[in-house]
Amino acid sequence: MKNRLKVLRAERDWSQAELAERLEVSRQSVNAIETGKYDPSLTLAFRLSRVFGMRIEEMFSEDQEERN
Amino acid sequence: MNECLTQRNVAQRRYVIRMIWCAAGSIVFALVAKIALRLGHLPDAAVYPIAIFPAFPIMAALVVTGLYLAEEKDEFQRQVLIEAMLGGMGITLAGTTVWGYLESMAHSPHLDATWVYPIFWIGTAVCMPFVRRRYR
Repeated sequence: MKNRLKVLRAERDWSQAELAERLEVSRQSVNAIETGKYDPSLTLAFRLSRVFGMRIEEMFSEDQEERN
Repeated sequence: MNECLTQRNVAQRRYVIRMIWCAAGSIVFALVAKIALRLGHLPDAAVYPIAIFPAFPIMAALVVTGLYLAEEKDEFQRQVLIEAMLGGMGITLAGTTVWGYLESMAHSPHLDATWVYPIFWIGTAVCMPFVRRRYR
């Protein structure tokens, strides 16, 4: 799963720690999601959607490799 | 500190405190069992329950780990611990199976079954940095 979290976070001038605090998770969680190594659950994806004020599909997109 | 971080810390704090109780319990229970078995000429019916007495805090520690996984709000941290524990389980199963064959076929020294539990946790601790590095 690809995501735009790093860009969205940079646009708001938030550090990983600040985003983690808003999401109520650890900074390592934010890093793992940003790097695409961990796909968040639907619950966490909705929380991200609320924090960024965007729809989930605007933040996440399916990887080409996953589709094939 | 926000409410959620506090909650997460509460889960970790609870885990540590419960584990300290379990560790202390396992020492006390083992001592009590050893003393009881050494002191008296107990009937067989009493020896068995006393002999398994020290296992209760160990089983409690497993419950404590389960409680931590249930109470931890951070799903990623849960995932990391679960994967490390799966690794620890694999190491334990593979290691004890190999040792079992060594014992039965190559006359290796006997490994007491009580070692299975520490081997599992050592295996989990060994796997943890590898799991964390995978997500970095």
